Parts: sequence; C-alpha cells; structure tokens
Amino acid sequence: MSYLTVSNAMKRFGPEFMALNGVSVAVERGEFFTLLGPSGCGKTTLLRSIAGFNDLTSGDITLDGANLRIVPPHQRDIGMVFQDYAVFPHLSVFENVAFGLKPRKVPAAEIKTRVTQALDAVRLGAMADRLPAAMSGGQQQRIGLARAMVIKPRLLLMDEPLSNLDAKLRIELREEIRDIQKQVDIATIYVTHDQEEALAISDRICVMNAGRIEQVGTPPEIYGDPQTRFVAEFVGTLNTFAPGAALDAMLSQLGLSLPGATVWTARPERLGLAARGGDTGGAATLEGTIAKFTYLGREAHVQVETPAGLVVVQIANPGMTLTHQPGEQVSVLVPREALMAFGADNIRIGG
Amino acid sequence: MPRLNFWTVVMILTWLMLFVLLFIPVGSVLTASFYDQQGNVTIANYLKFLSEPRFHQAFFNTLVVGFGGLFGALLLGSIMAFCVSRFVIRGGKFVSLLAILALVSPPFIGAYSWIVLFGAGGVVRGFLRDMGINMPPIYGVGGILIVFSLKFYPYVYLMVSGALSNVNRSLEEAAEGLGLTPWQRTMKISFPMVFPALTAGGLLALIQAIADFGTPRLLGRGYNVLATEAFTLYSAEVGSNMSMATTISVVLILVSMVFVMLQRYVSRRNVYHGNMINKPIRIQLKGWRNVLAHFAVYFIGLCGALPVIISVIYSFRKTSGPVFQDGFALQSYERILFGLGDVVRNSLTFSMAAVALIVIVGTVVGVLVARRTNFNTALLDGAFMVPYVMPGIVIGIAFIAAFNTGPIVLTGTATIIILSIFIRRLPYTVRTTASSLRQISPSMEEAAISLGYSPFQAFLRITVPLIVPGIIAGGMLSFVTAINELSSSLVLYVGSTMTMPVRIYLLILDGDFGVAAALSTILLLLSGCAVYIAFRFMGRNEQALL
Ligand SMILES: Nc1ncnc2c1ncn2[C@@H]1O[C@H](COP(=O)(O)OP(=O)(O)OP(=O)(O)O)[C@@H](O)[C@H]1O
Ligand SMILES: [Mg+2]
Repeated sequence: MSYLTVSNAMKRFGPEFMALNGVSVAVERGEFFTLLGPSGCGKTTLLRSIAGFNDLTSGDITLDGANLRIVPPHQRDIGMVFQDYAVFPHLSVFENVAFGLKPRKVPAAEIKTRVTQALDAVRLGAMADRLPAAMSGGQQQRIGLARAMVIKPRLLLMDEPLSNLDAKLRIELREEIRDIQKQVDIATIYVTHDQEEALAISDRICVMNAGRIEQVGTPPEIYGDPQTRFVAEFVGTLNTFAPGAALDAMLSQLGLSLPGATVWTARPERLGLAARGGDTGGAATLEGTIAKFTYLGREAHVQVETPAGLVVVQIANPGMTLTHQPGEQVSVLVPREALMAFGADNIRIGG
Repeated sequence: MPRLNFWTVVMILTWLMLFVLLFIPVGSVLTASFYDQQGNVTIANYLKFLSEPRFHQAFFNTLVVGFGGLFGALLLGSIMAFCVSRFVIRGGKFVSLLAILALVSPPFIGAYSWIVLFGAGGVVRGFLRDMGINMPPIYGVGGILIVFSLKFYPYVYLMVSGALSNVNRSLEEAAEGLGLTPWQRTMKISFPMVFPALTAGGLLALIQAIADFGTPRLLGRGYNVLATEAFTLYSAEVGSNMSMATTISVVLILVSMVFVMLQRYVSRRNVYHGNMINKPIRIQLKGWRNVLAHFAVYFIGLCGALPVIISVIYSFRKTSGPVFQDGFALQSYERILFGLGDVVRNSLTFSMAAVALIVIVGTVVGVLVARRTNFNTALLDGAFMVPYVMPGIVIGIAFIAAFNTGPIVLTGTATIIILSIFIRRLPYTVRTTASSLRQISPSMEEAAISLGYSPFQAFLRITVPLIVPGIIAGGMLSFVTAINELSSSLVLYVGSTMTMPVRIYLLILDGDFGVAAALSTILLLLSGCAVYIAFRFMGRNEQALL
C-alpha cells in the first residue's frame, strides 16, 4: 500500500457542484507529487481535504496505512505552505519557524539548532531576528517553507507557493524547493497551474480537470505520452489537424490508420519545415504558405496555412539567418512518430 | 461534535442581550406610543402629533437644523479637506488636531462658549457694540446652524480628506490629457471618487444634528426641535407625558432611518477602492491664493476649536460665586475638588465599566459575525445597525419605558446608565473587530493548526495578538464617546448617578460657567489622553474617530 492514498474522494459544495468528483491518488514515501490543472479544477480543495481544513463529502484518505479522516487537523502532523504565505506578522522570522516546534515539546536547545538549520537551508539565516512584515514575497515564502519543514512533518503540502513571485525568482526557488525536499526526504504534494514548473520539479504529475483526474505519470510520460486530449493540450502546445482530404492524404502517405481515431494532433517542436519539393526524410508533408514568423531567440514559431488548417512549427535554435517571410511557400514535415490520435471521447488511441 | 458549542452559546446570548437591551426598550417605546395616559390603546398620540402646530413646527425645525447642519458641515468640511489634501498648508497636522478637538469637545459646551462670545451680553458682541457695530445675538436657528456646522464639520473633513488622498493621480492626469478643464476634472473625476465619503460624513453630521439636544436647548430660545420636545414632555415636573414623548421618539427614529436608507441608496454604486500607486501630490500655492487657502483652513479650524479654547481659558478665571472677576485663579477647580468629586468618579467608573463590557462583548460578537458567516450572523450584523439610528434621548426614554416596571427594574441605578452607553457604542466595536478580522487571512490560523495547535489555541496565539492593538484603540475611542455622553444620561440619571456632562449641563442652566468650564476642561483632558493612547496603538488614524 502506498504511503498516502486518497480513494474515490468526492467533495460537494452547495446542492450540486462537485469540486472533487471521484479522485484517487497514491503518493509514495519521499516522492515529489504535483497536482497540475487549470484554475478551479479542485487542486486546493484536494489539498485542504488532506490537511483537514475541509472534510470530504465521501471517500477515504489514509496516511501510512491509518485512516486520516478521523484525525483532527492539528494532530495530522502535515506541514502546509500557503499560497498567500500566511507568515505570522507579529513574530520574528526565528519565532515563525520555531512556532510549530513548541507544541511538539522540543527542548529549547534543539529548537535553536533546528530552526537555525532550517533558516540556513532556505538562505534566511542572516534575517532570523527581523520581523517579516517588511520582507519581500520570496523571503516570506521561504519562511513559510522553513516553518513547514522544520517540524519534520509526515507529509508536506504546498499550494502554489511560487505563484506570487516574478519569473526569475520562481525558477530559483523551485530548484531550491526541489533540493531541500530531496534532502529532508519528506513526501510532498505540490500544487501548481504552471505546466513548466510541474515538469521541472516533480517525480510524478497528476493532471486534474473539473474535479477529476486526467492522468498520473512522470514528467516525460505526461508530456510525451499524454493519455487524453486535455492533458496533451494543457501540458505543452498542440496542433490539431482539421479533418479532410489533406489529413487523409497525409495519413495514407505514412500508411497510418487507426480505427476510432477522430482527432489527429502533433506537437509543434516535432514538426519540421522544408522548401517545396525538398528532402522529407521519410516524413509526410503538408504543403502550405507561411502566415507569420515569430522570432523568440532560443526558438522561432512559424505559423503555416495548410489545407489541414493553421499549423504551428517550432524551430529550435533559429540563429540569425533562418528567417521566413509571410507568403513563402513551404512544406510542413510531419514525421510518423509525431502524430498522436484521439478518439471521439478524447482518449488517446494507439500511442 | 456536540451541537451546543461555544459559538452557538455566544450566538444565543447575543440575541438575548439584543432583545433585552434593544428590542424590548425600542418595543416599549413603540407600544407606549400607542397608549394614552390612562392606559387605553389609541392612536390619539399620532393624531395629536399630526394635528398640533407645535409638533409640526418641531418636526419642521428638526429638518431645518438637520439639513442646515448637514450643508454647513459639508461646506466647511470639504473646503478644509480639499485645501489640506491638495495644497501645501503650513501646520497641516495642527489643523487636523483642531478638527479632532472640535470632535471630542464636551457636548454643548460649544453652544455655551458661543453665547459667552456672541450672546446677549457676549464679549465679542459687546466689543463690537463699543465700536459702533450692532450685531444680533446668536440665539435662534442661525446660532444653532453655526454651532452645528462648526461642531460636525470634522466628520466630513476626516472622511473626505481620507478619500481625497487616495484618489489616484493618474486618473486626474488622464483626464487632463483628455482636455478637461480643472473644473470639469474636479466634477467628473474627483467628485465621484469622494462622493461616498462625502455622503457618509454628511450622514454622520445629519444624524448627530437631528439627535442633538443640548445645542437647541441652550441656543434655541424657543426654537424647538423633536429632541427637545421629547425631553420637555418627558421631564415636565407637572404632567410628564410619557406617551407623547415616546411618540416623538418613534418619529425621531423614523426620520433617522429614512436618512440612513437614503445615504445607502445614493452611494450604492460608488464603491471605489483607491490604490496607493500614484498618490496625489500637494501643490504649493502662490500669492493671494496661498493666503486665502491658509485663511480658510485656519479660520474653520480655529472657529471649530474656539469653544474648547474658551472653556479652558474661562476655567482658570477668577470667580465670585457664579460671576467672573478679573484675573485668574484655580477656584473653579477647587470647587470641583471639594464639591463635585463624586460626579467625576461616576463618570470615570461608568465609562470604564461600559468600555470594559463593550470591549469584551464587542470582540466576541465581532469574531462571531466575521468568522461564522451564515444567515444568522448576517441578521445579527443587521440588528447592530439599529443603535446607529437611535438618538441618545430616545435610548434614554426607551430604557425608562422598559425598565421602570416589569420583571427588570433598573431606573435610578448606575447599571442603567452603563447599559445605555454600552448598547449605543457596542455596534462600533463589533464592526471594527469584524472588519479587522476579515483582513486577517484565514490561512494564518490554518497555518498554526497545521503546525499542531488546536483551533482555539491558534486563535489565541495568532489572531488575538493581531487584533488586540485595534481593540485597545477602539476601546479608547469608545471611552471618549462614553465619557462625553449626555442625552441618554440626562434622561436616566438620579442625584447619586450624575455624570460630568449632566452636571455641566445643569451648571450652564444655573449660569455657573466657571465650574462648567473647569469640568469641561477635565473631560477634554481625559478624552485627549484616550485619543492619544488610541493613536499610539494604531498609528495616527483620524478616520477611526468617526
Ligand atoms: N468553500 C467553497 N464553497 C463553494 N465552492 C467552493 C469552495 N471552495 C472551492 N469552491 C469551488 O470549487 C472549485 C474548485 O476550487 P479549488 O480552490 O480547489 O480550485 P483550484 O484548482 O485550487 O483553483 P486555483 O488554481 O484557482 O487555485 C472552484 O470552482 C471553486 O469555486
Ligand atoms: Mg487553489
């Protein structure tokens, strides 16, 4: 049995709205497990049910084999990092972090060493005596992190801890969080709606949508082998080919036919561009005209108008010379393994 | 979980308290107004109110002083607010202090000071007469309006200056960019932004003006308003007419209620949240404009604080009996020390008891209203609006009507005075506690719970320390209103429970202004200390005085 299990969790708000509609997850010891999904899909609700701040309408939660739902929240021993920091403004940084050690009856000397360690880990050692009010968002967030980890909880929950920070700090801090988590080896559930963050930080990702789970898997599985059209579209970008003669021609070029497949898609970075009649390297081609060229430094996005609809092609490392003008005639290269097919129920077929 | 938890009990007790201290008294007033002197059910009182010219006149006069006071306060308050928040005014802090002085000055000492200066034998009037200028004495409706404007302008000033300094300058710059003239800019951009503050401040002035009893009593000279009529009918030695007094009280409540509704209606859509990104800067005026702005601000400020200044000066004047002599002495204070110690003690103990009750009950109920949001607490929140529209004189009469006979008899006790102060001021504490709690993110307590504290412990260790400074400050400000409270105590006092404001009122009626001035000065000192402590705890926040 897994360390933390949530089975068939239902949470109803009001007479009929289901914020969680049959969610089951299993988290292993020491695992970094991420809940990823659009706003309002029920991530916070699931997290708060595990922490005990709102009870499930039905379903079971166990931690280390024991039923968690009967334990009052303050006895669950689950650390939580809040989206709005929830740093106590009337306590110094040190007192904030030490706050959770007092009810655990940790001796004063040990409190000192553990808090100092925790503050060093989040690089706030020099600020121990300051009041948090005048500190930056990133620093307050790290206080929250140190405060939740110093009690060595059985489980760590983080609700979008980086969402209020600027892009650079987010990347820095997410690396830090990841390192510290591996170091202290506490099973962690991390909530985000940022797909890149989820891919970068997680052992496994659980993609949620409208109160249900779409897919659970490692970052490469989620990105490279999405099982539903929702996951494929939410994580990364996706070209969907318009059905019609052009698509059929392309599929027969590749000798592909999947019974029940109604939607064919491909990620932009798996596609290529070639001059008309150029070398296709075994890939199928779609003839088209360039509609727009966007240079982004590290990559470039090329929008191509084709008979199978507008297709975006991502070119890595475009350099100085590889530019395209709107109106230029090109062929879009579609390799066989780039294609992902989905059935009428939006479930992946083949793959 | 047991059904009858702590908060359920609090809820039940709160409703019980509201019933006993609010609904039953108000209900008694209402029912008493439907009985005649012999105890028969009748609507004769209302017919009498509708038919007697005396009451028509009082009703009309109430509206006149109400709206007159409102417009005076709006005029003075917005001029001052505009000048102070938009122009560089030397000593701006001092000007605000003058406004605070006017706000916390003991009741209708103002009226009397104006009589001292501009009354029949007024100092200034006499001086002018010597110079050949003959001006009419200040009595009558004109005097009342002057006093009301100067006494209530701080409500408008404090509200509007707060709002004005939050209007984002970018908005005005944008309007300027669109080619609006300064006048259009003010009317189209700034005015709508401060409109809610203007109406809120105006409402406070209007309600206070309608409820004020001392000023028309002293300055009116026959210009009767509903509040004075109610008191006259209630207190007449011969033929005290309780049922007619209650009828007038009901009318007074209705009038106040109409205005509260009206204010809510006119400002219903105008909720703007200022943002602090681009605060307006103050312009340094030049030449005569600068002189004019300074003159306006200081003139209003000093006139408003004049009564306080006069009474402080007069408290040190030498007297012979009630008559002032030349020179200065501490006689008035000696007379307080030797004759009126119990009055000072009463005021202090009553106010402290009331404030202690207000703080404890107000905080618990505030937590209830803020944290257990449901239909019941929404209703409770609404019920706490009722004391806002109850003039003090009405609360006094209502308490007499409810607690004179029946299961609870309290008339003549200190308790009844304490409770009347308590119920009038309680809503403010409930509201400030609730709003400060709503500003504390609930995740703060949840964080403590996740760290291993029980919900109650979390509340105690996290939330309480965060709201305590606000509670202390609120308690201090309640103390200011409690110790200055006159109109309900005037109805409820007996010889042994006389308070300082009541004594001041009686002294002024007796013409003993020296002692009245000294008592007022002591009151002012106590109020000043309380305001100072409050500002120490929450920063200098003048809006909190409202
Ligand atoms: N106390 C509540 N009462 C009623 N509805 C609620 C309550 N809490 C959450 N909801 C609803 O449940 C749904 C899921 O909310 P939840 O907070 O779990 O979303 P989320 O995935 O965390 O979204 P976000 O990324 O915006 O934080 C939302 O539609 C929300 O409006
Ligand atoms: Mg959320």
